[in-house]
Amino acid sequence: MPETSYAVLGIFDTPDALMKAIPKARASKLGAVEAYTPYPIHGIDDALGLRRSPLGGMVLVMGILGALTAFGFQYWISAIDYPIITGGKGAGSWEAFIPIMFEVTVLFATFTAGLGMLFLLNRLPFFGHPVLSSKSVKGITRDRYALALEAESEGFDSAAAARVLQEAGATEVEILPAPDRSPFLTSAFILRVAAGIFGACVVAGIAMFLVTKWFPLLAPMKYMQDQPRLNAQKPSAFFKDGHGMQRPVAGTVARGHLPTATGTQEAAATLVNPLPRTKEVFAAGRKAYINRCEVCHGALGNGMGSLTAAYGGKPANLQAQQFRDYPDGKIYWAIVNGKNAMPSHAADLSESQRWAVVHYVRALQRAQNAKDEDLKVATP
Amino acid sequence: MSQNKKTSNLLWGAVALGALGVLGTYAAAGPARFWANWVLWFILLFTVGLGSLFIVALEHLVNAKWSVPVRRIPERLATLLLPAIPIGLIALGALPVLYPGTRPEAAHHPILAGKAFWLSIPFFSVRTLVAFALCGLGLLVLVGGSLKQDATKDPAFNIRARKFAPAFMAIFALVITLIAFDWISGLTPEWYSDIFGVYIFAGAFLGGLAATALSVLYLQGQDRLEGVRGDHLYNLGGFLFAFTVFWSYIGFAQYMLMWYANMPDEVIYYKVRLAGSWRAITIALAALHFVLPFFALVTRDSKKDPKRLRRVAYLMLGAHVLDIYWLIFPVLGAKPHFSWPELSFALFFLGGILLWVRGAMEKGEDMPVGDPFLREGLEFRL
Repeated sequence: MPETSYAVLGIFDTPDALMKAIPKARASKLGAVEAYTPYPIHGIDDALGLRRSPLGGMVLVMGILGALTAFGFQYWISAIDYPIITGGKGAGSWEAFIPIMFEVTVLFATFTAGLGMLFLLNRLPFFGHPVLSSKSVKGITRDRYALALEAESEGFDSAAAARVLQEAGATEVEILPAPDRSPFLTSAFILRVAAGIFGACVVAGIAMFLVTKWFPLLAPMKYMQDQPRLNAQKPSAFFKDGHGMQRPVAGTVARGHLPTATGTQEAAATLVNPLPRTKEVFAAGRKAYINRCEVCHGALGNGMGSLTAAYGGKPANLQAQQFRDYPDGKIYWAIVNGKNAMPSHAADLSESQRWAVVHYVRALQRAQNAKDEDLKVATP
Repeated sequence: MSQNKKTSNLLWGAVALGALGVLGTYAAAGPARFWANWVLWFILLFTVGLGSLFIVALEHLVNAKWSVPVRRIPERLATLLLPAIPIGLIALGALPVLYPGTRPEAAHHPILAGKAFWLSIPFFSVRTLVAFALCGLGLLVLVGGSLKQDATKDPAFNIRARKFAPAFMAIFALVITLIAFDWISGLTPEWYSDIFGVYIFAGAFLGGLAATALSVLYLQGQDRLEGVRGDHLYNLGGFLFAFTVFWSYIGFAQYMLMWYANMPDEVIYYKVRLAGSWRAITIALAALHFVLPFFALVTRDSKKDPKRLRRVAYLMLGAHVLDIYWLIFPVLGAKPHFSWPELSFALFFLGGILLWVRGAMEKGEDMPVGDPFLREGLEFRL
């Protein structure tokens, strides 16, 4: 028949007696030796042969991981995924990340320390420790010192353990029965909890319904849209001139919008396209061309756009020899300043989009006037 | 004994050699360089001494028992304030040279005009004298009383010290803020930072702690602190560890707010220190004052390990020197000055400080034998 006791407790009157008994209990090798005392006793860790807790290492690793996680998240958001310049600071300004890194480091470290201690190392939840239901527990929390030989296997010999503790000087010996380890997650328990949560939701829902019905003016929260703010194209009492929109401060330039001094179209002829001829640039140029130019100049750049048919306008045929001979700068100038009936597109296209469109127009011209060697490049 | 004599002769030699270099600096490298070095060593001496006195007062304030066996060490180190007073009085000579607020044109400067009285030489000197007098009062009550207790064994001293400690905390806050604002921040009077006094306090406390830990280990090596064990060292190491984090917290908070606001009159302080060779020194300061000691002391055993603790204490003292150098020397120009004048000043002052500390360590009892809590302190276990 398997042994059913959890442990044997030996009660000692003084900490010294307990400390003296520990080596004897350990030498018996009958089971795990554990001490229960009302307060920590110096040197008892070494006497019991307790291993150094791995918690410190876990906390260090998780703390460093927390710092790296916070840095990674912030760097990815603010420098890679959605870079926005705020407060004149460049994307990925590490200085701004430090407070969050500090907080997340502390969060990871403390959670690891608390949860790791409770669940990983102390193996909680453990409802009703057997020692708590022993006869001696009152003394242990007051002025008695207990040494326990705890069962490690089915073959635990509680009678022998009791004898060892008695010989080691215990004034009392108590055999603790094995705790009830039946599972607590029974279907009845789960049902009861689910019913409790459901009931609470119903009560809260009805209460909320009645409160908003009887007191409709009690706003549950202040809506963000009600805050004072500036709207584009709307008056505002905030500024002296009464406008919500304000001119930029004199002498300032928005990032990426350096003005290009282009004078006359002839003067612009010397400008060099600063963009490289890459797939991305052509794709950006194509997109801008389709959105802004195609309606008049046509998908092929031959001046046969849909507006031409509808209104009989005569936009430039970009495939004409005259425009094929144009330097890049003159096309750019036309986009910025407009020409004849064509309006300026400076407000619609950013600097890089304009130059990308120039590249794309060059590609359109080449596509209609392909040379033999172009075919060779195209064949795989 | 002969070994002792030899070291002592060596130190006197260093002081003499250093003194030649110090005089040579004034003659060859100019008064600005001379006074920058002088103020640097005055601040170092003063912060380490005041930091040690703060440790003594702190232990009285919280009624700590563990520190009673090692309390004599910071008490002895706090006497560094005594040589700091004449050195500080001589340093008043730096006012017309290095401190723009004392110059006559400051009266017409748009920012300095309003502070002209505060920054003027007479009021500056009076504030420094008041700070010295307050330090002297702290030394007299806390250190003098403790030395007297060795003979009288009168427990009334403990009660008196405990009552004085809270008042000393207020005195300490005033003194360290005055010294930090006047002597260090005063070099760049257009720039100011509310947290600057706390930043200097963190460095001073670390300097005092490192000097205390080193002296404790030195006396332990001579078997003179019988009963002081790893548990006591652990507390010193724990303090060092905690306050490296505190120092970097304050230092970074000050930097980040100014970096964020980007106000020209504030950010210029860091602009200067992040340009050219100063940038490397700034990074080195962060590494030596925070990263390295933090990871060196992060494990539990490292705080008790005398070898590790000694190395970290040396490192902390070196980092404290670098910290003050980093604060003061940019006033001399965009290029960090480091050559024979700095080395001679180091020889002169380090030799002098070591002679003073060695002398202090030989005087009287190594532990406060009259303190009724000495036995309890010796029985301290973690």
